[in-house]
Amino acid sequence: MTDSRPALPLLAALLVAAPVLAGVAYSALGAVGLAGVGAEGFTAARLPRVLGDPRTWASLAWTLGTALAATALAAALAVLVAVAFRADRRLDRAARALAAVPLPIPQVVAASCAVLILGQSGLLSRLGHAAGLVPAPQAMPALVYDRWGAALVLALAWKEFPFLALVATSVLAARGTAAEEAARTLGAGPWAAFRRVTWPLLWRALLPSAVAVFVFVAGSYEAAALLGPSDPLPLQSLIRERYADLDLAARGDAYVLTLLALALAAGAVAVHEWAAARQEGR
Amino acid sequence: MRAAGRGALFALLAASAAVPLGLLAVWSVAGAWFYPALAPSAYSAEAWRQVAGGDLAAAAGRSVALGAGAALLGTAAGLPVGRALARLAGWRRRLGAALAFLPVAAPPVALAVGTQLFFLRLGLGGTALGVLLAHTVPAAGYLALYFLGVFAAHDAGPEEEARTLGATARQAFWRVTLPALRRQVAEALALGFLVSWAQVAFTQLVGGGLVRTLPTEVFSYLRSGQERYAATGALLLSVPPLLALAAARVAARRAAVAGP
Repeated sequence: MTDSRPALPLLAALLVAAPVLAGVAYSALGAVGLAGVGAEGFTAARLPRVLGDPRTWASLAWTLGTALAATALAAALAVLVAVAFRADRRLDRAARALAAVPLPIPQVVAASCAVLILGQSGLLSRLGHAAGLVPAPQAMPALVYDRWGAALVLALAWKEFPFLALVATSVLAARGTAAEEAARTLGAGPWAAFRRVTWPLLWRALLPSAVAVFVFVAGSYEAAALLGPSDPLPLQSLIRERYADLDLAARGDAYVLTLLALALAAGAVAVHEWAAARQEGR
Repeated sequence: MRAAGRGALFALLAASAAVPLGLLAVWSVAGAWFYPALAPSAYSAEAWRQVAGGDLAAAAGRSVALGAGAALLGTAAGLPVGRALARLAGWRRRLGAALAFLPVAAPPVALAVGTQLFFLRLGLGGTALGVLLAHTVPAAGYLALYFLGVFAAHDAGPEEEARTLGATARQAFWRVTLPALRRQVAEALALGFLVSWAQVAFTQLVGGGLVRTLPTEVFSYLRSGQERYAATGALLLSVPPLLALAAARVAARRAAVAGP
């Protein structure tokens, strides 16, 4: 059934997107000093000031890098789970149920667990002490607030892998095992069958979901604020800090950063639709 | 994959499901738990008394109300939009899906900063109503996409039959379509609730720190190093999502057994 008035549904969708479009428009006006906090008429000074600041790029690079690492880790774990437990036996079903547990858990809970497990006086450090490896909390390698964002990557990968595992499992279930069995019959080892048959199929089907995970992780605020370092600041924390600046003129700089963040999200949405269209078109 | 590898992976999954939540449970009753002890040296029910009738109880109540409101508003917005988009094909449907995806993908802090002055101008800054509307933004996006999926797979035959037999579009929707989608609507309400239930950035920025919900309390407790309260709040925060997950799995299995 196709609509005779195809513009109407798109108008409805535009309504759902309206807050984002309003946010983009408002940030754009704010970035040139025409609206928002600290607006004093048109100024061309903000854009070069923020975009010329190395801290902006350090923050962006850090955020995208940790998001990429968390997405890659989540995807690897998801594929491993989907391939290892694809059958319909009891152990497979139990494993899939266990893998689903972190799926609906709020991000702030994941961050709390990360602090309690990975922090310098967390569970891991205590276990290390009991094993004689960690003499004192300071001797534990910093995973929380560290430059590498180890706890952030682990916490977000833990929270996001169940979604990708669900997608990967359903792709494999829909596809069946015939192609792999044929490859094995023709003499391919298990690793070759995975690399040549299962993986090419899986990654294409997983790509749209992986892009979605990447954009959630890159835009995450609470986990980054609770687990990330203060230098460089994660992008969302940088926006908050600028926006709360005591200097009103500096507050306006936050609009340049929100514009950047919203543009990145819109770009990711476009990539997501492209990947989904390519997958469906097959 | 070899049996040992599968066993190790299964153990990892079991640990990933049990250790974080188990640790929260222990911290929630820990009176004193100093490094390097592996178990608390004293226990306390103090944090749970806060759950029974203190700050945590008030924050949880606010979160439940906001979640229920966002579920209703998000479904009311997302269902018609998703249904309309499902009628489209080709690039139009892609474009519609992309538009609905925008509020889901937009980083909450950036979106809140970009729209905060609209909320302030409407007098909604620092109010629960403002926070509710802010939560509805991503919820409506999620649910429009969810219902796009539902209606794309939905058989419109019975609805068209009802129309042929003289029912108005409204009658056909309320008496034929909606009753057939009872499970999906229930899932949508749960999803909308959970989207609101997890929000931190919107609540802090639009609520201006005045609207304190369970996740923002956990955030503050963790920042100020109050592990016991953070753990108790986090544990409480995990209960509705896990119940919803369990219910969805049971419903999906039942649907699979009963057939479409």
